Amino acid sequence: MGKVKIKRKSTLIDMTAMSDVTVLLLTFFMLTSTFLQKEPVTVLTPSSVSEQKVPTANLASVLVSPEGKVFISIAGDADAATKDTWGTEALRKTILDEAVTLYNKQHPSTPVQLTAADREAFSKINMFGVPFQVLHQFLSMSQTEQDKFIADMNQKGVGIPINDNKDMEKLNEFQIWMRAIYNSGNENLQKAMKKGEGIAVKADKDTPYTTVHDVLDNLQTLKLNRFSIMTALKSEQE
Amino acid sequence: MAQIEQSSGGGKKKKGAQKKMSIHVDFTPMVDMNMLLITFFMLCTTMIKSQTLTISLPSNEKVEQNQMNKAKESEAITLILTTDRNANGDVKKDENGRPMNTVYYYEGMPDVTDANGDGLFDNNKLKAEQFIGNDGKIQQGIRKILHDRNKQVLEKIEKEKERWRNKEFAPGNKDANDSIYQARAKEIRNDSTLTRPVVIIKAAPEASWESLISALDEMQINQISRYQIDNINQVDSAMILDYLKKNPKK
Repeated sequence: MGKVKIKRKSTLIDMTAMSDVTVLLLTFFMLTSTFLQKEPVTVLTPSSVSEQKVPTANLASVLVSPEGKVFISIAGDADAATKDTWGTEALRKTILDEAVTLYNKQHPSTPVQLTAADREAFSKINMFGVPFQVLHQFLSMSQTEQDKFIADMNQKGVGIPINDNKDMEKLNEFQIWMRAIYNSGNENLQKAMKKGEGIAVKADKDTPYTTVHDVLDNLQTLKLNRFSIMTALKSEQE
Repeated sequence: MAQIEQSSGGGKKKKGAQKKMSIHVDFTPMVDMNMLLITFFMLCTTMIKSQTLTISLPSNEKVEQNQMNKAKESEAITLILTTDRNANGDVKKDENGRPMNTVYYYEGMPDVTDANGDGLFDNNKLKAEQFIGNDGKIQQGIRKILHDRNKQVLEKIEKEKERWRNKEFAPGNKDANDSIYQARAKEIRNDSTLTRPVVIIKAAPEASWESLISALDEMQINQISRYQIDNINQVDSAMILDYLKKNPKK
């Protein structure tokens, strides 16, 4: 009587095909991804049927937190040929200089002095939102400290002041920034701002209208009457 | 076993023949790593790019009374966006604790005469509505009202849209077809021979940003070219109060 032999099957599975699939998926995600930009508050934008895309270059986006704090993010030209003058980092430095000059002209008694390191730090920050008086202190912090500082909405030194006044002669800080962005010398950005694509206002859907209205009002005072509002896509059957 | 031995005994291996080596590489760690990377990219990406809605607001400069453009009374329709309040005047909230929004509208000029002096307006044109969108093909809520007011334009655009769907404008050229359709639609929207409404959107300070966007959205859906955003005034608030008095909420 011969014993019945159980054949030992190898449990090895060929993973090559699986590996192919994962690499393909990975390639897809790597190519399509645009990384989430760091923002001090996460806002849920309201949805609309508009299908215009947000431009990735030449855009000044204004974020309004539900508490009414205002933050600005600047993206420069994406063209490699103009990187040294109109590129995002160079542009941010130009705008910072412009804004500080404007501020110091209006507030001769309390001028803001920034170091070269401050300018360098400013060009790396995606979204900023501190009053001019706190700017030096904010820029000399480390990145983690900055994130912590700016995320605390109850703090007084967070958010660009917008409601000082609405006089064209004496601009408030938000207006100074917007003016500096407009006059940054980047013609493409200026063109986009004239067309209304260069400024994007982003606010949470539950934010009271009056909070956003303050920002819109400031833009109107600066005669930046055309701008876009960031929304999420809503599908609507017709 | 024996069989194998037999066969191997039969054919002697030539010396110098290359040994066939089967190469098996274990891909499991590779797959593991790829999966981790995929997870990372999936979590860090924004797949849905936000959209934008371009609006133009008038300049803040003061305009003389006699230079103002006045809307015809028959064409004007005013939307008032505000939060919904219960009988005690407290803001109503939904189950997530978010304030609920409502929209009132009236056509033409507000009428706040109170001839019999009972504290209620004689002819309050204000009506309450909601942003509820479509039910299938039928417009509901505020959309129905705006749709009916802008019927002439919408019917004309619908005809053009049919031609656009059939690619009649430029057969075989999708971009040209699209742009011709867009140009025609714009022409119809701004055609002054049709009866078109002028919509005044008034948002109360506490109205949510979302409701304003919904209102602007309705303008786009109903192809209304003339609208403006305004601030709420005393007459409007008085009319809402009057409306709430006459239609007490449970």
